[in-house]
Amino acid sequence: MSPLDRRQFLTRSATLIGASGIGVGALAGAAAEAQSRASAPAQSAAQQARETLADELATRVPFDAAHQAGILTHRQAQASFVALDSIAPDRSTLVTALRNLSMRARSLTQGDTVGAEEVDDPPPDSGILGPLNAPDQLTVTIAFGASLFDARYGLQAMRPKGLERMPNFPHDNLEASRTHGDVLLSVCAGQRDTATHTVRELMRSVAGHLTPRWRIEGFQSARRGPTPASNTRNLFAFRDGTANPDVNDPRLMDELIWVQPGGGEPAWAVDGTYQVVRTIRMHVEFWDRVGMFEQQNMIGRYRVSGAPLGGTNEFEDPRYTLDPQGKRIPLLAHIRLANPRTQQTANQRILRRGYNYDRGIDEAGNLDQGLVFVAFNQDIQRQFATIQRRLGAEEMVDYITPVGGGYFFAPRGAGGPGDWVGSGLFV
Amino acid sequence: MLPLGAWRICHQLVTEPLRSCDWREATVNRLSRLHFCNRAARATVVVSRVCRPACARGLFAAITRSRTKNSKLPSSRTPLAVKPALLVLGAVALLAAVAFLGSALTPAGSSRARRFSVAETASKSAPNPLAGRLSKVYGTNIPASRYGTEVADLEDEGTNIAGEQISELSPLRAAAFTGPEDAYRRYSERWIAHALADTQTLEHALAAGQRTAAMAAWEATWSDYLHLGAVYLNGEVEIANRAIDGTPGELPGGSSDPRFTGLHRIEMGLWSGESLASLIGFDVRMQHDLAKLSGVLQRVEMTPLEYATRSHEILEDAQRDLLSGMDVPRSRQGVLGTAAGLAATEEVFHTLEPLLSGRENTEGEVRDELLMLHGVLASIRARHDGRYPSLSQLGAFEREQLNGYVAGALSALQEMPGTLETKARVPVPKLPAPSQAEEAAEREAEKTAEGEP
Repeated sequence: MSPLDRRQFLTRSATLIGASGIGVGALAGAAAEAQSRASAPAQSAAQQARETLADELATRVPFDAAHQAGILTHRQAQASFVALDSIAPDRSTLVTALRNLSMRARSLTQGDTVGAEEVDDPPPDSGILGPLNAPDQLTVTIAFGASLFDARYGLQAMRPKGLERMPNFPHDNLEASRTHGDVLLSVCAGQRDTATHTVRELMRSVAGHLTPRWRIEGFQSARRGPTPASNTRNLFAFRDGTANPDVNDPRLMDELIWVQPGGGEPAWAVDGTYQVVRTIRMHVEFWDRVGMFEQQNMIGRYRVSGAPLGGTNEFEDPRYTLDPQGKRIPLLAHIRLANPRTQQTANQRILRRGYNYDRGIDEAGNLDQGLVFVAFNQDIQRQFATIQRRLGAEEMVDYITPVGGGYFFAPRGAGGPGDWVGSGLFV
Repeated sequence: MLPLGAWRICHQLVTEPLRSCDWREATVNRLSRLHFCNRAARATVVVSRVCRPACARGLFAAITRSRTKNSKLPSSRTPLAVKPALLVLGAVALLAAVAFLGSALTPAGSSRARRFSVAETASKSAPNPLAGRLSKVYGTNIPASRYGTEVADLEDEGTNIAGEQISELSPLRAAAFTGPEDAYRRYSERWIAHALADTQTLEHALAAGQRTAAMAAWEATWSDYLHLGAVYLNGEVEIANRAIDGTPGELPGGSSDPRFTGLHRIEMGLWSGESLASLIGFDVRMQHDLAKLSGVLQRVEMTPLEYATRSHEILEDAQRDLLSGMDVPRSRQGVLGTAAGLAATEEVFHTLEPLLSGRENTEGEVRDELLMLHGVLASIRARHDGRYPSLSQLGAFEREQLNGYVAGALSALQEMPGTLETKARVPVPKLPAPSQAEEAAEREAEKTAEGEP
């Protein structure tokens, strides 16, 4: 991520917009205000909040990089996941669609201005973010489902070795209209309106070629402490993400996340990663009617602190070897099955990057809330699927129902302005 | 005496019968928050919630008279001196509620009624499991008539009625569950027999090519089977249950998986126009699976906690899987399934009542809520010519009522496992202090997390 200087960004944007004759006064004013704010000795809380927001809106994450953004990069507060199916009649149309997708994603993630067109023409951008599309930490991660590699486009031989249609695991209730897809877009940003705008614009860029199959919106819980390291809570109120592998350790990421050369994977897949998405309905009312003791035993952690049962600190090692009978942390507790922390299971670890979802009520009057579980891993069978099979035994299965998602492959990032994500597939 | 706040709310409930349902629901919620356990007032709520304001008004007048007689400001604790008067009022109120529900239980078109209706969840010769019955406070010789505010308030303060200090949970003996579980096992056997008989009716209808009759027989069989609700699903029972009542979502091949058999496979075929003859094989297999389950049930073991937990899980499952339509996407018979689940819940509650007596106020709360849900289901059934409507046929108000009362029942039932604990919780063993190296690793993990967004 490259945090852009806020004043520089706003000033430059104002210049750009000035050239197109839109909103000059407003933007120049905003830039001037930002400058004056920076020099003020004391700031009110409201001023600080405004400034923080301006900083965040001005922050951009590079689109072109060896690995796609939105995987190891900072997990933003808001997300939209959109699965698309290709209706392109031939290979070259598909190429056009994928190229357009990357081009538009690049421009939106880096921040652009809404250009003016002939007054009789529909505006080229919906404009819901105003005359300037601030980058707002936006990332668009593009991934492909197994169905893209069927006979339609002659891509059978290019299918990443481990990419298959996500099976039904025991206790799943996958709905066809919420599962699989040829292309998955993971749109993550700081603000909800940025994500909403991005989805709208990206879909516009591929209209007639890629058509939506399902979509779900996600949000992050706020970091509420008590320490800056404390992880956020999911909608069962337990902290999520505590045992994620260290994304700043490149060697570990090569072992767990990125596809390496050899091993039967096609060359284009190297430096990419498998993305697993599971839309998991959480029956929150049911959960809320369960005693705290049972809730904590199901998870294996204290609800308040996030510490493993018997411990005091969220980051404490649960040291299962000292508890072989499960007297402290039950043998079927979620954390114990998900990550047994043995030498044999070390290479099964995955990188989770999930979001809460909240989409109204169901027919029975219950809140339709849950988790968009998102995980990246180098080998689905060795990692995610192995963990998921173990989790079939956990007691929490009664309180959750996986209803959608899919297996996808997120290839390496685009190499530069002329390149696009997935170009390696068509060489 | 009623607490003053509760009295005011009762007044609103019965004097403003034409207010909206939302308002009525909110008011009842306010009342529950006051957490009083006066039977007369609860009964007023019962009656007013099932939309008999006139009847509730009579009760309310009686309560008001009682209040006027006593010049002392109402308090949340019932003074012992007025207890007999309240008991009489309570009895009157309960009788009124039971009489009302009794009338609701008689369906309009009873000749067309299906067998597995709420009215028949208890056999006609048996007493209504939910009617108020006097018994001893469990494990003591204290009459249950003293149960209620007095005992519950004492227990909340950490003493029992003998003045002894008690912990919040005074565990029951595990052996006390043998009787209830045996009773439930016998009840389950009867429902398996019903289910087996109905699978044969289903087979005949399928063979005769009568789709409507087959659908009716399917509904009857499925409802029979759901009466087993409290049977804990593990081991052999789980395997048998998957074959009989499993849903396709759990199978790798979904609805085309060869292991997709049983009730929901037949449901899919019946409601999607599949040939009836092609479904006979599934029915015959189900007869075999049911017979096998019957044998397994004889030796199935359940811990007290599992049995107590099932008392709320049956309706939890109904809310999650049936009222949402998830498990019955074709027939949409979620109301029928919920009624069967309620019957199973009532049976569990009935078997556990002696154990609940005098422990907190769970028994009273659960009875009231089950009674209300029972009444709502009966009134829905009566309005639909004596049969349960499909989820799609439910009116908007019926849907809200049903959703709301199921949620209400679950809020009361959630207390059951805790109230029926057989062992005190032992504290979680402490993690030994980490070594220096472990501590360093923890600090490292924390530092990494700090860098995260």
